[in-house]
Amino acid sequence: MRRKFFLLLVTDYWLLVTFIGCGPSYPETRVKESIIKICKKEYGLDVKVATVGKTITIYLPLTQLIDFTFAITKEASEKINDVILTAARVTLSTDAKVDFYCIIAHDVRIPEIQIVIVKYVDDVKRFLLNDISRGEYSKRMLVDIRLSPQAQKERAIKDVFSKMKLDEKWEDQVMNEFFRAEPTGLGEMGYWEGRFYIKDVTLAEFLAEQTANRIKMEFKEDRFLSDNFLMKSAKGTYVSKEDERYFRFDVSAAPNGEAVEMSAQELQNKVNQAALRIAYQVLHGYRFEDFNYVLVVDITDDRATKVLKEDLKNFRSKNAKLDGAMEVEVY
Amino acid sequence: MISRKLKLFIKVYWVRFAILLAILLLLVLAIWGMMSLESFYRNITLAQLPMQILLVAFNAAIFVFLYMSVLGGRGFTKFSKKITVRGELVNIKWSDVIGMDSIKEESKEVVELIKDRVRVKNIGGKIMRGILMFGPPGCGKTYLAKAIATETGLPFVSMSGSEFVELFVGVGASRMRQLFKRARELAYGYGGCIVFIDELDAVGRNRVFSAYGGTEETNSTQNQLLAEMDGLQEMEDKSGEARPEQNIVVIGATNAPEERIDPALRRPGRFDRILYIDLPSLQDREKIFEYYLGKVKYDKSIDIGRLARKSVHKSPADIANVVKEAALIATRNRREEIKFVDFSEAIERIELGLKHKRILTPREKEMVAYHESGHLITTYLLHPTEDVFKASIVSRRHTLGVVWPQPREELYTQSKEKLLADVKVYLSGYAAEKLKFNTTADGVWGDFKQATTIAHAMVWMLGMSEAGFLGDYTAIPQSQLSDSIKEKLNNETDKIFKSCLKEVEELLKKERPLLDRFAKELIEREELDYDEIDAIFKEYGKMHTNAA
Repeated sequence: MRRKFFLLLVTDYWLLVTFIGCGPSYPETRVKESIIKICKKEYGLDVKVATVGKTITIYLPLTQLIDFTFAITKEASEKINDVILTAARVTLSTDAKVDFYCIIAHDVRIPEIQIVIVKYVDDVKRFLLNDISRGEYSKRMLVDIRLSPQAQKERAIKDVFSKMKLDEKWEDQVMNEFFRAEPTGLGEMGYWEGRFYIKDVTLAEFLAEQTANRIKMEFKEDRFLSDNFLMKSAKGTYVSKEDERYFRFDVSAAPNGEAVEMSAQELQNKVNQAALRIAYQVLHGYRFEDFNYVLVVDITDDRATKVLKEDLKNFRSKNAKLDGAMEVEVY
Repeated sequence: MISRKLKLFIKVYWVRFAILLAILLLLVLAIWGMMSLESFYRNITLAQLPMQILLVAFNAAIFVFLYMSVLGGRGFTKFSKKITVRGELVNIKWSDVIGMDSIKEESKEVVELIKDRVRVKNIGGKIMRGILMFGPPGCGKTYLAKAIATETGLPFVSMSGSEFVELFVGVGASRMRQLFKRARELAYGYGGCIVFIDELDAVGRNRVFSAYGGTEETNSTQNQLLAEMDGLQEMEDKSGEARPEQNIVVIGATNAPEERIDPALRRPGRFDRILYIDLPSLQDREKIFEYYLGKVKYDKSIDIGRLARKSVHKSPADIANVVKEAALIATRNRREEIKFVDFSEAIERIELGLKHKRILTPREKEMVAYHESGHLITTYLLHPTEDVFKASIVSRRHTLGVVWPQPREELYTQSKEKLLADVKVYLSGYAAEKLKFNTTADGVWGDFKQATTIAHAMVWMLGMSEAGFLGDYTAIPQSQLSDSIKEKLNNETDKIFKSCLKEVEELLKKERPLLDRFAKELIEREELDYDEIDAIFKEYGKMHTNAA
C-alpha cells in the first residue's frame, strides 16, 4: 500500500516534469505574432516585428519620445521597458533560435530621431539566473540615441532631386536601387518610412560596440581618466579577413589642460591600458575566442597598439604594464 | 458491516485521508501554477525541483534521525501501527501447527467459543476473555496464537510485554490503554479482535506492594491491563445485546513459571483458560522433523524416527534450527542433499557449541582424556536411562572435554536409581583422574557441584536417604531446624556421595584396561561417536546396563 502510494507520487512528479516541462510557450512559428499580441493585450502598444537570422527587431512608434531638453520622457521610457520585457519573455520561452533582440523606438513627430537598443538573449538569461549583476547587465546592453542614418540618406537624395529639379517619379526607384540596402553595421540599423533597416547581429560586432561604449563610460567614471582626459570618441569594429580576425578600437582621448605632468607617450599608454583592460573584461566575460589580436588605434596620429589574444590577460588590472603590446602603424 | 468497516477505516485513517487530499490539492495547484508560467520560468522551476526535493529529503532525514534517537521512533505513548494484522493475513492454519495435538484441540474449542459468542450468551454462558499460555521458549505459543487468529478470521493485535516497559513512568499504562482502544476499534469494524501479548511476564509478574506507598512501573501497567479486561466485562454486563466492541479476546504467552504471574491475572474473568504448552513428544518431534524436512532436500533413507530420538527435550524452534544448520553444513560440504551426518553435526554444534582448539600440554590432555573416559564408562555401564552420544576432548565453550549423554526415552520422572546414577557419572571424572594420576584437577568442580546438588536434594527434599528421613526439609525455615537434624541430613548426603564414589572407583579399577583404552583413543582421535564407543565396549565384551 505504502509502496503504491510512493510510486504514485513519483509518477505524478515525472508526469509534471515531462509534460509541463516540455513545449515552449511561444513556438517558432508564432514568435512575431506573440510579441505583437502581448504588447497590444498587456500594454496597449502597437508594434511591428521583423526578424533577420537570429535577430528579432521590434519597432515601437511613440508620440513623445523626447522632451524639449532632448531627454527621453518618463512615459516613453516606461513603454520602451514594456517592450523590452515582452521581447525578453518571448525570446526566453521560444524554441526559435534567437540570439539578439533589438528595439527601435521612434518619435512620430520627429521621425529622424530614434533610439536603438540591442540585447543579447544569453545576457538576459544570465541576469535572471543571477549569474551577472544588475550593473554588469546594464553595461551589456547597447543603447544609442541617434539620427536615423537612412533618414539622412533619403533627405539628402531628396534635396538632390529638388535642387536638380529631377522627375520625382524616379526618386523611389533610385532610392530602392542605391540607398535602401541592408545596413553593414550596428550604427546603420533603424526604421524609416515603413521599412526596417536591420541586419543579423553577430556576437563579435555586438562585443566590439559594447567595448567601445564601455571605454567611453570608463573615461567618465574613472577619476584619473576623467580628470586627465577628454574623451572625444571611441568606436569598435570587428574585422574578419581571410587570414585574421581582430577587434579594432579607434579611441580619441585628448589630455586636458590640467593634466598631471606626464609625457605624451605616458598619457597615451594610460589610454591604451584602459582600452585593453576593458576589451579583456568584455571578451573574457563572454568567453569569446574567435580573434587573433586587439588593436587600439589613436586616431590622432594613426598609430596603434596591438596585443595578441594570449597576451590580453596581462591587462586584467588597472596597473598592468604594456607587456606584450606592440606599436604598429595603421592606415 | 461494510458501512461499519468504512466508518472504521475513515476513523482510523483520517489523517492519511487528509494528507492525501492535501497532496492532491497541492499537486493540482502546482500543475495549474506551472501551466500559467512561461516555459523559461517553468523550466527554471522544474530545474530547481530536484535540488528542493533533495533539501527537503535531507531535512526530513535529519528530523527522522533526531526523532528516532530521542523518542525511539514513536511518541512517548504511541506504538507502531505494525502491531495490527488482519487475521486472514496471518495465514497460519491448524495444519501448520505441528504436534501439540491436545493443545490444538483445546485451541479449536477456544476458536469455536470466540466464533459462537451469541450461542454462548444465549445459553447464559460467560464469554471467554483471555487465554494464557505457559511453556518453554520455542514451543510455538506465538504460532498457536496466530493460528487462532487465522481460524477466527479476526484482526490480530500483537505486542510484546517488553514494549510496555519504558524509562518514563506511566508510559506502559498509557500504551496498554492505546492497545485496547485500537482493539475496540478493530472489534467494532470486524466484529472482534484478538489481542496477543507475548512475554506477558514483563507486565504480568507478581506485583510488589511497597510499605512506603510507592509502586513499581510494572504494577501500574498490569493494573491497567486488569482494568481494561474488567472493562470488557463491564461492557458485556451493561449491554443486553452482544456489542462488537466487546468481542475481544486477550491471549497472553510466557515462558515464566505459572506462580510468577500475578494471581489477579490468572483468576477467572481475566485469563479464563490456561494452556500448558510443553516440549514436543517423540511422535510430535517426528512430525515436526517431517514438516521442516519437507522444505529442504534430504537423503530419503534417513530414519526420521532416529532423528526424533536424537532430539529429546528439543523444542520445535530447536528442531527448525537443526534442519537449518544441517542444510548449511551440507552446502558447505558441497552436497546436493542433507545427509544424516549433517544432522548429527548440526545437533552437536547446537548442543555443544563450536569447536575451538586450545593447545593443552600432553599431561593436561591425558588428564582430560581420563576424566572423560571415566564419565563415558560409568554412563555406559551404570546409567539406567542414558546412552553416550559422543565423547570428546576438543574444547568447546568453556569446557576442555565432554561426554554427551543422550536420554534413551523421554522420562517425566526421575527414579532414585537414575539420580544415583547421575551422581556416579558426575563423580566418575574425579575417580578416573585419581586412579590414573593419584591426584586430581579443578575440572571436577562443575561435576561436584551437580553431584552435590542431586545428593542434597535426594536427602533433604525427596526422602531418598538410607536413614529414612522423609519430607522436604527445605520447606521448613532453616532457623526452625535443629542442628542435629541438619547434621544427620548432611551425613546422609555425604553417605550417598561416598557410596557412589566407592562404587565408581571399584568399577573403574575393574575396568582399568577399558579406561586406558578409551583414554588412548581419545588422545589419538580426540572425538569418539556412539558407534565407535559401542564397538570398543563390544570388543571388551561389555554390554549396556539396560541391554544386559
